[in-house]
Amino acid sequence: MEHILLLLLILFLAKVFGEIIERAGFPSILGEIFAGVFLGLLWFEPGGEVLSFLAELGAIFLLFTAGYLEVNLTELRTASRVAFTPTIFGIAVPFLLGYLLGQAFGFGFLESLFMGVAFSPTSIGVVVKTLIDLKYLSSRPGSVMLTSAIFDDIIGIFILAIVVTIATINQLPSGMQLLLIAGKLAGFMVIITFMGFKVYPWLFNLVHRMHVKEGIFAFVIMVALFSAYLAEVFGLHAVIGAFIGGALLSDIPFAKIESVQRNVSGLSYGIFVPIFFAFIGLSVDLGVAQTAGLFTVLVIVLALVGKLIGGFIGSKLIGFEFHDSLIFGIGMMPRAGVELVVLSVGKGMGLITDEVFSAIVLMVVVSIIVSPILLKFVIQINEDKKPQIPTIQD
Amino acid sequence: MPENYSDIFIRDIMTQDVVVVNEDDPVEHIFELFDKYHFNTYPVVNNEGKLTGIIDQDIMLEIIMFHRIPRTKHTHIAAVRSQGESAREIMIPHPVTISPDENLHDAADMMLKHHINRVCVVEDDKLVGIISKKNIICEVYKRKEVE
Repeated sequence: MEHILLLLLILFLAKVFGEIIERAGFPSILGEIFAGVFLGLLWFEPGGEVLSFLAELGAIFLLFTAGYLEVNLTELRTASRVAFTPTIFGIAVPFLLGYLLGQAFGFGFLESLFMGVAFSPTSIGVVVKTLIDLKYLSSRPGSVMLTSAIFDDIIGIFILAIVVTIATINQLPSGMQLLLIAGKLAGFMVIITFMGFKVYPWLFNLVHRMHVKEGIFAFVIMVALFSAYLAEVFGLHAVIGAFIGGALLSDIPFAKIESVQRNVSGLSYGIFVPIFFAFIGLSVDLGVAQTAGLFTVLVIVLALVGKLIGGFIGSKLIGFEFHDSLIFGIGMMPRAGVELVVLSVGKGMGLITDEVFSAIVLMVVVSIIVSPILLKFVIQINEDKKPQIPTIQD
Repeated sequence: MPENYSDIFIRDIMTQDVVVVNEDDPVEHIFELFDKYHFNTYPVVNNEGKLTGIIDQDIMLEIIMFHRIPRTKHTHIAAVRSQGESAREIMIPHPVTISPDENLHDAADMMLKHHINRVCVVEDDKLVGIISKKNIICEVYKRKEVE
């Protein structure tokens, strides 16, 4: 009974807070995190097994849906030509800063490495509205940002996969262990790619002829769970498998039927993903975040500045002007869903402490609030500097 | 005894004279098609006549109204589509297709089960027609009249 009440409260508060935040002009993810923080302040604790499991499913479905609905494997080839350099720099610089921050605070190799991973993802969705409002989505930085976003997720998941595998060894890997890690990753990729290109198309052709209700939808969900499970079998994390499994469905017509996409999206964003974000909010220890003041401030500043510098250098290298590079760098600053999944993986595996977890969640919240404001400011400065065309009245 | 229409093949009832869009056609051309004809969906083909995607009214409306739709729908893929300049950049790739050798039951099952109004008919990857709910209804009605 208690679990049902908690679930009801989480979903209710996540949707109400999400709506309030959305109407205030920010993404609803903030409201869903606040719903969790609010529940934590009341009396609930995140320790329950049922809630943890539902949140884990939320993380799995968040990444599965990202791969399933957002990745288009064919489009990737074209995109790679444009966005490769800025994306690599946009990931490498914050990664390095995260790692160095960990080292400066005396963290071990793995924890520092994970700090780097946690600094790496980007969530362009947060600034799309600002870009539209300022008519900048079709500008060069806007379009490269959009293209870069696809790569950012994929590279982020790949780095996470490596770090998670290293974490299972629990030390700096030797030459032999590196081979083992590469072997595990390769083995997983071979099996899941074979399933994606050879087995799933054939199976979906069979499933679409079945008479059971919602057969295809159920099968898509099974692919999500199978990919997540397979990743765990190979010593990777379930979320990594879920993302890749989702992306592999992107070219299968029956898997992408509109009504099936709507069902998957409803299950994910209607139920599991809000539970996951609320769970993240519920897991934040505000007391710890307060006591670790300097560390928290440095996490926020370096994670945001790292993206700004990385994005700036990367876009300069492909020929952007100073202002466009600045706009691109700021556009790469926000973090959201993937970042929080990475974070929950780190916490679940014991790679990061409560202090680090809370500081990074706070960084995500700040990045969501600050990035659109900064972006608007820089774009407007750029517009003001452009020469005004005199009108007839002038 | 329920009626059996399994002897009616899709190639015999599909619409063969289909208005298609080429992958490289500009978005303006697609708007013109929606203005000129009453169809809800246009198949997109490449230069070899192979079906590569479809463009429907929902996509066009989403592109026009992208700045007005709720933030939750500002997904990466929708944003990229809103900036598309050619059919290739805005189409839904890999649509569901059916072979002209399948029968009326197969098409009707597919439409009812998956809430699809029309399906592109493809032979050797090439678009040969479109079968819609209307085609099926008219065919069945015709047969009933004869009986």
